[in-house]
Amino acid sequence: MKLRRTQARPQHETVVALIDVVFFLLVFFMVIGRMDATSPFDVTPPVASTGSDMPGGGTTISINPAGRLALDGIEMATPQLLTDLTDAFKRDATLVVRINAHRDTELGAVLPLVSKIEQIGFSDIILVVTTGAP
Amino acid sequence: MELRRTRRRHSAISIVSLIDVMMILLIFFMITSTYLDLNMIPAVQQSDTPVDQPAPPNADRSGATTLLIRLGADGRAHVQGKPLDLDALGALITARLVDTQGLQIVVLPSPRASTQALISVMDRATKAGAAALRIVRLEALP
Repeated sequence: MKLRRTQARPQHETVVALIDVVFFLLVFFMVIGRMDATSPFDVTPPVASTGSDMPGGGTTISINPAGRLALDGIEMATPQLLTDLTDAFKRDATLVVRINAHRDTELGAVLPLVSKIEQIGFSDIILVVTTGAP
Repeated sequence: MELRRTRRRHSAISIVSLIDVMMILLIFFMITSTYLDLNMIPAVQQSDTPVDQPAPPNADRSGATTLLIRLGADGRAHVQGKPLDLDALGALITARLVDTQGLQIVVLPSPRASTQALISVMDRATKAGAAALRIVRLEALP
């Protein structure tokens, strides 16, 4: 008896569901995840349980434990940072300044900078904190 | 004349490349994402009264409405020369708030103290119910 081999039919499985799932995950990671592009060095914010939600927008200053500074991901010295902030203030006086200082950074590198930023005219300066365990 | 309608051919666009691009983007965002729950504590607010502004005439100048907390280089808080841990500091602030309406907390940190130490003190004071908190620092005259 001659058995005819059944020809394997190419299955037309729909990939729409796959695309839906991948799109969902893509949007999820784009929205929820924070791109770590705001500092060129490792910065772990201090822990606080009474922090409030961070407002969107603004400019971010990162300070590492050695006192190195970065403005929106670009490392620079203090005079350049203050010049850039002064220009930013001229463009938008309501700009929020976020200070993302490492938890081990000495206050001698943070508080004088806050004063100088305040002297430029900025009236909304916030310290970035996290709720995570230290 | 009979016009024959040309049958529209279904063009098959391959979506394989779309899936490839989406997968690459997905993996990129998965790897580069960080999951820190970031919050904020205001350092300077629009509502803050400038330090150099004169105090209101009815302000109590005896110092009874102000609690000065010194923050040492080791991160420990000191009140009237006594070192206090965070729990004791919280209890002290709570007790002072019961006695004094509108108690103002003034924190004088050492420049050698860590940012975490200052934030911990501010955190504890806020938890204890303090609404007015100022940070002062000493600066050498040029």
